[in-house]
Amino acid sequence: MTKDLEHQFVTELEHNQNIVHKVCTLYTNDRDSHNDLFQEITIQLWKAYPKFRGESKFSTWMYRVALNTAITLYRKSKKSIPTQDYESVMFKITADEYDPTEEQQLKLMYNAVRQLGDVDKALVFLYLEDKDYREIAETLGITEVNARVKMNRIKNKLKTILNP
Amino acid sequence: MMDELELLKRDWQKNDKKLPQLSFDEIYKMIWKKSSSIVKWIFLISIIEFLVPHLLYFLPSMSKNLAVWKDLGLGNFLLISNVVQYTVVLFFIFQFYKRYKEISTLDNAKKLLSNILKTRKTVKYYVIFCLSLIFISFIVMAVGIYLNEDPMAAMGYSYQPENISREQLKTTLIATVVVLGIVVTLVMGCIYFLLYGILLKKLKKNYKELKDMDI
Repeated sequence: MTKDLEHQFVTELEHNQNIVHKVCTLYTNDRDSHNDLFQEITIQLWKAYPKFRGESKFSTWMYRVALNTAITLYRKSKKSIPTQDYESVMFKITADEYDPTEEQQLKLMYNAVRQLGDVDKALVFLYLEDKDYREIAETLGITEVNARVKMNRIKNKLKTILNP
Repeated sequence: MMDELELLKRDWQKNDKKLPQLSFDEIYKMIWKKSSSIVKWIFLISIIEFLVPHLLYFLPSMSKNLAVWKDLGLGNFLLISNVVQYTVVLFFIFQFYKRYKEISTLDNAKKLLSNILKTRKTVKYYVIFCLSLIFISFIVMAVGIYLNEDPMAAMGYSYQPENISREQLKTTLIATVVVLGIVVTLVMGCIYFLLYGILLKKLKKNYKELKDMDI
């Protein structure tokens, strides 16, 4: 029984691991911290798994636990220093036709997003993952209206960074 | 001009291929690793905080101290304070356990943060209670010395200084005990609040951010 559960969990996580990796890239600055956070999220997901049992989609549930771990439970994020190789792997720009302006813009934006606070980052992350405001609000525990207001503020902030 | 964030979103969703990929076995190994989450730290530190004052009684010097209390005529105070202390400690442990159990990563971020901070508050009140008890003990000891005819003998010293009067000795003893009480309480308080201050800085900041959003 336990073996089944383990197998089922690891299989599902293996399929959906991109979500966790994306959270890790946003909240950490180097590869070691990335792996650290990934491991902590995995542990928290596994601990919560018996309580999950298919009430919502596996991925929906993952977003919540992963972000909660990054925002509240994870301890080491602040001290690490960004390393060049990590940045270039994670945020290599993928513009289809090489467009120097667009590449420059994206670079600036990724940098700007990474400088946001933990909570703002979570908001942007869910937005980038195409979640609607209702889900964003539910994940963070704020009202939908306030999630919208906050997101607009972040958008404006990014705008000023790009067009000083 | 196109919304900057839409541009970012488009790029973000194309990024999947560049992310690291872990194998089934790698993930499987991870689920058996030990968590190093803040909640676990708070839990461990709290357990230590609940235990340490009680373990101290097992030290030989502490048992000797207990005898001093009796000799100073403070046995009753000791008994009453122990009864009060253990009642309160049991209450705190119950409260702590109840709140600790409420912490779930399945809650939304705000609720989770609030639950962790509440659990932590229980420990904070417990520590304030313990610190007060320590301080009161020192004060009561000072009063005991004041009321005692021969405090040096009561503390187990037969030594009788010649060039200092009994009154002066008493005053010095009382002053020492009071100063010691203040220093011990302050030092322990500082260590404690520093420890938690560091541990909870991020949580408090994020909780405040979420709370401010809803104002």
